[in-house]
Amino acid sequence: MSKKIYEVVDRLPKGGLTVMALRSLDTFVPGQWDNLVGFDNTIRAVTGETNEAMVTAVGERAVALFNDRSQGYQRALWLYESVDAASGLLGAAAIANRIGQDTFLSFLKNVTPKPEKAQTIDLCVKLVTEVVAFCQINGIPGDSLGDFLKALGDYGQESLMRMAALVAFDGVIPLGADFSSKALAAIKGMGPSELEKNQTFKGVEKEIPGKDAKGKLAFITESFEATQGWMDRFVSDRGITQEGLVENLSQFVEGSKSKLDYLGAFLDISVKYYEHTGVQTLARRLIERAVAEL
Amino acid sequence: MNVSRWVKRLVPVLLSVVLLLTACSAAPSKYDQVQQETTGFNAEKAVNRQAEKGGTFNQFFPGSQGSYEVVPAQEKQGFAEYKLKRDGETLAMLAISDTLSLPAAAAKYEGATEAIAGYPAVNQGDTATSLLVNGRYQVKVLSRSPSFTQADREAWLQKFDLLGLAQLDAASMLQKSPAASEPVVQDTPAPATPEPSSPTAPVLVPQPAV
Repeated sequence: MSKKIYEVVDRLPKGGLTVMALRSLDTFVPGQWDNLVGFDNTIRAVTGETNEAMVTAVGERAVALFNDRSQGYQRALWLYESVDAASGLLGAAAIANRIGQDTFLSFLKNVTPKPEKAQTIDLCVKLVTEVVAFCQINGIPGDSLGDFLKALGDYGQESLMRMAALVAFDGVIPLGADFSSKALAAIKGMGPSELEKNQTFKGVEKEIPGKDAKGKLAFITESFEATQGWMDRFVSDRGITQEGLVENLSQFVEGSKSKLDYLGAFLDISVKYYEHTGVQTLARRLIERAVAEL
Repeated sequence: MNVSRWVKRLVPVLLSVVLLLTACSAAPSKYDQVQQETTGFNAEKAVNRQAEKGGTFNQFFPGSQGSYEVVPAQEKQGFAEYKLKRDGETLAMLAISDTLSLPAAAAKYEGATEAIAGYPAVNQGDTATSLLVNGRYQVKVLSRSPSFTQADREAWLQKFDLLGLAQLDAASMLQKSPAASEPVVQDTPAPATPEPSSPTAPVLVPQPAV
């Protein structure tokens, strides 16, 4: 049964860990994100309409557009939900690995990837998910990397917040300031079979362009390489540092300052920022189209 | 005896479970009806398969001019949209849609008393002004900033290449309209990749609206 987009948007949390984690980034992307929740509320905010009959008409058209599978909106929602769910599993694996080191249960190391490699793949797959979801929502072929890169410069609101969270929570915190070159080196040295074992990749692989794991790995590498400059500039222009991020997060994740790898894993499991901001982006695009078509 | 006592004890427990489950299910929504109508095997699709490709509309949008920047936003079947920005602020959205997917959108022009550039025009709510070309293609400007007035919307509607848009195939719409007096060329579909009509026509790069 199809998901009801109005319920998905109505159920977006107003508070909780995800919202607090995203708000902790406000220092670096000030004024971009105001956690818009609720379907009708989003319609009013996006369109500026106050007439309730008009709001309902826009909502009805948006629901119809979402339910037309050929339009790609359902696939985009699936991507945003799946990549968060799969990376949560990765977080669990990272914790298992850490327990393995601490308690000498060395066999755990053989079944779970090392945290850094796991985080690297997570970062790369999440980035590619953004590329593919962007293409689905905006109606261009799924491998239109060039269009995505041009659009990235104009990202705002929850879309920019999602990219900020990607860079911060999946890049700088677990991998350090040189996260992008570390990740690129790791993904370039990786074989398709290694990628295929990764939970985050498994979660969304069917939507990643490429006829097999080798092709998909090439697309992931190409996407990351092309976006690296933007990510590095984003970090340096906005003065994002591991210390600054951890300082902000430590206000609600107690004792996280000295346990960075635990913090990364904790964020993986408990913070669903891709799904949260992805739903917000999807709702915004649907509503913008609906009101223009009416 | 024991059994009946157990049953008596179980009834309130079962009733509580039933009540709890009912309470947990979602409250009815005003969108439930449209949800039902647009899902399922025989549901009507939101977008008509014969609707013009969104990419075809790109050439008819105005280009950036002066301090105004026209930035691509969405391109879907039967729909294309751009942002109108100045100094980084989004002033308005500019859109062309094929009403083949939503005939009610075209029907609202039947009683139109106003015209812009010779095309029937209407105001919708507080933020939108639109016109209809060929009885099929809706061109709409939606304010996103309070400073962008109805007069601004009307001015920008006239910056579209409306004559170019009028060259697009209206056949499928006219087929449905017995009142149409123009001859219909039914075998001439719109070109899939038309040449831009103006060198200033923007190149589509879909982007999220800000």
